[in-house]
Amino acid sequence: MKRNNTWAKFLLFAVGAFYVLPMLAMARFSFQKVPVIKLGWSTLFKNWTIEPMIDSVTSDRFLEAGWLSLRLAFLSVLLSLLILVPTTVYVHVRLMKARAFVELLSTLPFVVPPIALVVGISSAMRSTIPSFLSSPFSLVPFYVVIALPFTFRSLDVGLNSIDLKTLVEASRSLGAGWMRTVSSVILPNIKAGVVSASFLTFAVVLGEYTVASLLLKFTLPAYLAEAQGNNPQGTFTVGLLLIVVTALLLGVINRVTRSKSQVVSNIWI
Amino acid sequence: MNITVWSGRGSLSERAPLGVFVRLRPWLGVLPFAMFVGAFLLWPSFSVFRSALQPVEGSTKPAMLEAISGQYLGSILFSMRMSAITATLGMVIGTLVAIAVVSLDRMRGLRNLMVGYSAVAANLGGIPLAFAFVASLGMQGLYTKMLSVIGIDLTDMGFKISDFSGIVIVYLYFQIPLMTLVMLPAVDGLKSTLREAAANLGASSRQYWRSVGIPLLTPSLLGGFLLLFANAFSAYATAYALSSRGSRLVSVQIRFYLQGNTITGKSNLGYALAAWMIIVMVVAMSGYLGLRRVSERWRR
Repeated sequence: MKRNNTWAKFLLFAVGAFYVLPMLAMARFSFQKVPVIKLGWSTLFKNWTIEPMIDSVTSDRFLEAGWLSLRLAFLSVLLSLLILVPTTVYVHVRLMKARAFVELLSTLPFVVPPIALVVGISSAMRSTIPSFLSSPFSLVPFYVVIALPFTFRSLDVGLNSIDLKTLVEASRSLGAGWMRTVSSVILPNIKAGVVSASFLTFAVVLGEYTVASLLLKFTLPAYLAEAQGNNPQGTFTVGLLLIVVTALLLGVINRVTRSKSQVVSNIWI
Repeated sequence: MNITVWSGRGSLSERAPLGVFVRLRPWLGVLPFAMFVGAFLLWPSFSVFRSALQPVEGSTKPAMLEAISGQYLGSILFSMRMSAITATLGMVIGTLVAIAVVSLDRMRGLRNLMVGYSAVAANLGGIPLAFAFVASLGMQGLYTKMLSVIGIDLTDMGFKISDFSGIVIVYLYFQIPLMTLVMLPAVDGLKSTLREAAANLGASSRQYWRSVGIPLLTPSLLGGFLLLFANAFSAYATAYALSSRGSRLVSVQIRFYLQGNTITGKSNLGYALAAWMIIVMVVAMSGYLGLRRVSERWRR
């Protein structure tokens, strides 16, 4: 059957351009020191430099924000796994009828937009436990919550895809305790799920702006917002850097999970 | 081996009232998780509603009622209109991209590239994405200048990246790929066999789409629309970065009411708007999840 696919090619070309062009523009502003007004064929390849990138990534404010974001990301990944791995494993091994309940709780963050969550946080906690909110690490549990729909799904899919009952029974009958069963039998078998849950949490923390900014924490996106005025070129560079790192993280997830369509709703907006 | 774990419980659980506790005991395993979600998600959410039900200063009406009148209602409707427009455009274009990708099936590399990039782009947003579009279509943006060279002056045409149409374009950057990801399994599902069957029965391409393709895609289309709507409706950082204070979007307005110390006593309005946001999200997301279940049924 002969089909005319010209429209398909044209559409994909146009949409592809829409995806790529903004990134190219951002790259130009990051790496080329030529004002837009002077840009033309003669200056197209002039003054490309990584100097602004070096400048911004060595500035004190960037290092401060980056160091905080990095620590928050690692702590959030750790807390995510600490809470979710035991819970999901327990549910799958012992109490399958609780799965729907855990799934429901894990889906709830979808219906509470970050802006609503953060005003709720200040309303609930500012008067009751103000000292908790003053620490920058108070963001960690909220990031775990925001990432919950994705992390739960990754682990749940991983546990569904293995014959958990048999593995556990084999391990227990060979005399392994629960700790050992989880650490050397279950975890290695759901590696893909653990990796994608961790990377997703990491990506969430790197780009999240709403909660951080309303709780006045100086993370990387907050740095971007602040530096917008005084070092525009540097902010384009850091913004591009964030996008590239996130793209790599999500690329790895797509590889390890090989799921045809990972339908998630946005994590940064 | 599980037998050892469960031993003795069967007989006990028949005896009330102790039996109730024994039967509930396994649920203790999910208690830490439930308490965590309770403390860091449910408590703040309830707190939003508690403040939203209190009156604004100088009024007896609960703030939630105040929020659906006059200018406050205006910002909710503005947000809904914006979300509906980006969701409609995203739905149409994203679906066409999915169909295009499937119909160019022989180019495997193209499909992988498109799907892989969609998975990334669907998750981009916030400050970095806003910057990318400022660099492209802002006043001093690269393409603004390039277009002005060939005689198209966006500024003269009244286009501003921080305005309604600008925000719509920026949102499409994550709406289109998200829709593509939603639709791909559905479009894949109605691929060759159905089309061939229709062709064998003498259906033209148009008849095939009208009587087979579109009816089968409808649940996914509607579900995708609701997902995109919810996605745009809950967005804050992107719009805030594009037009810090001026935006009338409800998410940006909330910050205004809660941080603008000049208008005292109005903070409950911020909570009320947040509460309405949650309600809209619950409706949209349950619609999406319900429709997803419907569309997955026939694919199995």
